[in-house]
Amino acid sequence: MKSSERIIRGVVAAPGITTGHAVRAFDPTFISFNFKLRSDQVRPEMDRFRESVDKSRRQLRRMQVQLKKRSGPESSFLIDAHLLILQDKLFVDRIVEKIENEQINAEWAIQQVSDELFEAYDRLQDEYLRERRGDLDDIVRRLLHNLHANEQLSLKKLPYDAILVGRVIPPSTLFELRSQRVVGLVTETGSPLSHTAIMARSLEIPAVMGAEDLSGIEPGEFMILDGDKGMVICSPSKETLEEYKPRVRSGRRIPTRARATAAPVATVDGVRISLGANINFGDEVKAVVANGCESIGLYRTEFDFFRDGHEHDEESLVADYSNVLKTAKRMPVTFRTIDVGIDQKSWDGVNSNLGVRGLRFCLENQDVFRTQLRALYRASIHGTARILLPFVSTVDDLDAARDIIADVRKELDRKRVRYDSSVPVGVMIETPAAAQTCDLMASLVDFFCLGTNDLIQYYLVVDRSDQTVMHLYNPFHPAILRCLNQVYRLLEPIDKPITVCGEMAADPPSAAVLLGLGFRSLSVSPTAFPRIQQMVRSVSIAELRALANQLLNMQKPKDVEERVRAAVEAKQ
Amino acid sequence: MKEREVVIGHRLGLHARAAAQLVQLSAKFRSTIVLVRADDAKPVEADARSILSILLLAARHGSTLQVRADGSDEDEALEKVCEYLSG
Repeated sequence: MKSSERIIRGVVAAPGITTGHAVRAFDPTFISFNFKLRSDQVRPEMDRFRESVDKSRRQLRRMQVQLKKRSGPESSFLIDAHLLILQDKLFVDRIVEKIENEQINAEWAIQQVSDELFEAYDRLQDEYLRERRGDLDDIVRRLLHNLHANEQLSLKKLPYDAILVGRVIPPSTLFELRSQRVVGLVTETGSPLSHTAIMARSLEIPAVMGAEDLSGIEPGEFMILDGDKGMVICSPSKETLEEYKPRVRSGRRIPTRARATAAPVATVDGVRISLGANINFGDEVKAVVANGCESIGLYRTEFDFFRDGHEHDEESLVADYSNVLKTAKRMPVTFRTIDVGIDQKSWDGVNSNLGVRGLRFCLENQDVFRTQLRALYRASIHGTARILLPFVSTVDDLDAARDIIADVRKELDRKRVRYDSSVPVGVMIETPAAAQTCDLMASLVDFFCLGTNDLIQYYLVVDRSDQTVMHLYNPFHPAILRCLNQVYRLLEPIDKPITVCGEMAADPPSAAVLLGLGFRSLSVSPTAFPRIQQMVRSVSIAELRALANQLLNMQKPKDVEERVRAAVEAKQ
Repeated sequence: MKEREVVIGHRLGLHARAAAQLVQLSAKFRSTIVLVRADDAKPVEADARSILSILLLAARHGSTLQVRADGSDEDEALEKVCEYLSG
């Protein structure tokens, strides 16, 4: 049966895009995976199952002996029931048959047979009897446990490029599987702050958590996991796959030999390029420092802020931000104030790309904004902090934000709280309005940050979360190149730092275009860092400038892209 | 094959303990032993050696079951099983 394309949404837990086959994780206590066997694996798998039945039987008999000694025969009949289930044809024989006929692993067969029985139990009118399913549940757990204890075949030998699918996947399991071909992870429970998510990020395995309902995913089903958007596409159509292909490549894990080196990054013709890292969580800072980044160019604070679905109180925010700054040593950290966008399902009811986002949200929820600002200033004495205001579309919003910042500082002064009074305040250029008027905002800010993800979406009128128009989302569109060129020309005479921090900076060809247009500071995800560093070292600014000038007059996005790829990839 | 109707005499019906004991009893015979509950529109069958199927029969106290035994010791099997079920 060929399934049709389905999209399941969750939240971003670990970035990156990957494709692979679903391996279903079953049972949260004794995690196991369901998969098809090769024909030569069927016999050994049946033996493995029978061994686990025998082992379970021995355990139960031992238990029974002990129970009889201690409390007489009264409670030992419960064990009888368990033992009888282990020799029940309805259960054991059917599992063996399934392994043999359907060529599936023992765990999967156990799951199928027990699920059918559970269903039958649930249909019973008799409440007492319905409760007997507990005995069966107990046996299932024991069998699964013993299957694992016998031999970790299912864990140690995942059969394909596996995307783990399950309600829960414990961090230890993910860690045990790290040397396997686990390419992604999607769970129903868990948040970006769960230990599994942290583990996934440190192993650079894209992950989506809090997904709606994964029960419909078939073991072995092919899927795309988009860790950048927090969604999975099951059985993608050919068209969808085509659209994703270039991005899957760029999101692939970096081989260890391509690790970044700490030396300053300069082009072939000696132009220094500043490379920073984008992070979503404070706990990523340590890895970033180790990786030799020069700055945290973008810390998307809403991920930490909305963890567990609740805002933090000021004290814990101060502790968190202080910790981030201390861990960063004196490296500058750009804290982008809360942006609730469609990518983050963090604030119920806020899911419009054209609605209350970024600074608009903060101005409407001033308590939240003030709490965050107070925490940021209080933490600022521990390092080099910068404050970045997202999704600004008018100077009025900027004024309002600056008033609130001034107010917060006055309050801290009054209370004689120590803070760094020189914390720069910057603006995110990510709306067409801001792109057109960035020079008019210059007197109100200390630095600029160019958010290409949103800028492209609003410029090209392409909703990033809408699959049907995704193929129109293209950083090589001449409109985008001209827009970026204009922003650079407007800001060139103004001597204030500009950093580009969208995905455009993370893909070598489009990042090269940015350098050609004049930008000298990029901030990218830690995973993209090595490849961008490598790209910078292989190009010459003089050539890229000439290339950019030609691109500005090309008609079609496709031609632009081809031209750039040819020029940049030839150097790598 | 021999068959006979029997009314469940166990106070709690064929619950876990009774079911377990029935399985253990049935295992002593060579004959196949099947229980049929026919009070619903759709008759439900259970293998007397399968605890899960007996539990799924959900036979209550006072309900009527048809017992079938088939094999070399079917008479004795039917006798003992019915004796047990009637409590």
